[in-house]
Amino acid sequence: MTLGIIENLINELTRLPGIGRKTAQRLAFFILTMPEDEAKAIAKAISEVKERARFCSQCFNITDAEVCEICRDEQRDKKKICVVEEPSNILVIERARFFNGLYHVLLGSLSPIDGITPEKLKIDELVHRVQANGVDEVIIATNPNTKGEITAQYIRECFNGHPVKVTRIAYGLPMGSDIEFADEVTLSKALEGRRQM
Amino acid sequence: MLRRSEAIVLRTTPFSEADLIVTTLTLDYGMIKAFAKSPRKTRSRFGSSLEPLTYSKLAFWGREDANLPRLTQSDIIKPFQAIRDRMDCFFRVTEMVELTLNLLPEREAHRDIFHLFLSILDMIEGDSPEDDSSVLTVLLYKIRFLDMVGYGPRLEGCARCGKSGYNFYISHGSIICGLCAKGMDAPMRLSPGVIKSYDTLRRWDIAKIGRIKLSRMILSELSGMLDTHIQYTAAKPMRTKVVQS
Repeated sequence: MTLGIIENLINELTRLPGIGRKTAQRLAFFILTMPEDEAKAIAKAISEVKERARFCSQCFNITDAEVCEICRDEQRDKKKICVVEEPSNILVIERARFFNGLYHVLLGSLSPIDGITPEKLKIDELVHRVQANGVDEVIIATNPNTKGEITAQYIRECFNGHPVKVTRIAYGLPMGSDIEFADEVTLSKALEGRRQM
Repeated sequence: MLRRSEAIVLRTTPFSEADLIVTTLTLDYGMIKAFAKSPRKTRSRFGSSLEPLTYSKLAFWGREDANLPRLTQSDIIKPFQAIRDRMDCFFRVTEMVELTLNLLPEREAHRDIFHLFLSILDMIEGDSPEDDSSVLTVLLYKIRFLDMVGYGPRLEGCARCGKSGYNFYISHGSIICGLCAKGMDAPMRLSPGVIKSYDTLRRWDIAKIGRIKLSRMILSELSGMLDTHIQYTAAKPMRTKVVQS
């Protein structure tokens, strides 16, 4: 019976990304030896996030309120909006502590072959938000891959004839890498986007 | 077993945290799906070599009958970045990709289809944005691809008696004359220009295709007939068409 419970926990943990059976087994036995209140805190955090997490009504970031913390923050520059594909991208950009504007999450990227059309993304909401709030700059920070690039081009088209400045984050080589190992597309994009020093 | 082949990336599907399932049209093994470990990470050795439409030299590991061989190396031969940089053009090329994915059986080498796909990408990349003839080029691919896989519509006379005619029956994928078509559903009426243009696009040397100039009406009629035929043959609507509309 006991083994059945452990087996069940192992099976559930293997559903998580990057967790194989061995890691799940190690985690399950660790949970078993944890103090009861700590184990319950983990379980409670998981169930709370499933019960209370929702999308922000303005930017579609994940929040537990109607409007997320970033959109509520009065210190932020409301004239700049950074467009990202997923809520997890916001965490990464926030970690860089460089951008002080607002965000807009598209909840995906355009992919005609997978049937992901503009209507399935939050693009109309972005256009409406920019027009209604007199935003000065839209920074497109979709992924630097084909889907992200096509999405960026589509958004740029949406703002044709609108006074807002539309910019795209730069392409280039990752810091700490060697030019020797860069592929031709990355290098040509890096050269194309060079700047005067 | 380690296998190598030239290939064109058709589609990538995210898998797990940073992995990809890559569908490629290879020269030697036909269309195959392969697993690539961590290409979505910034410092991946694959770089941009697994982006759709990239023509590269691939190496993959796995038994010949393995469901999902593992990609071990990918060296770009030609990235076709200019196509990806033009949204309208890219959307048109994805029609070719979707058609290939839907109608080409996996793991059957089709060198002629590989070379056709590559020539078409070359032609489209060579177009200047001001003189974009990708609509005609993509149409050419569809016509020749359907012929190569055996799904091409038959427009050179009635499929039953051989007499010339202009009534195209989607359910039969061919023209059927008035006499032979008694009791059948309503046909799609084609103009003589469409039938002639179809035949030209099917037979002409691909290098001379640039000389063909079709009127907008013929182009639209021919595209419409072909798309309806493709949708009937594939038994599902083409997603890329929906996006473009």
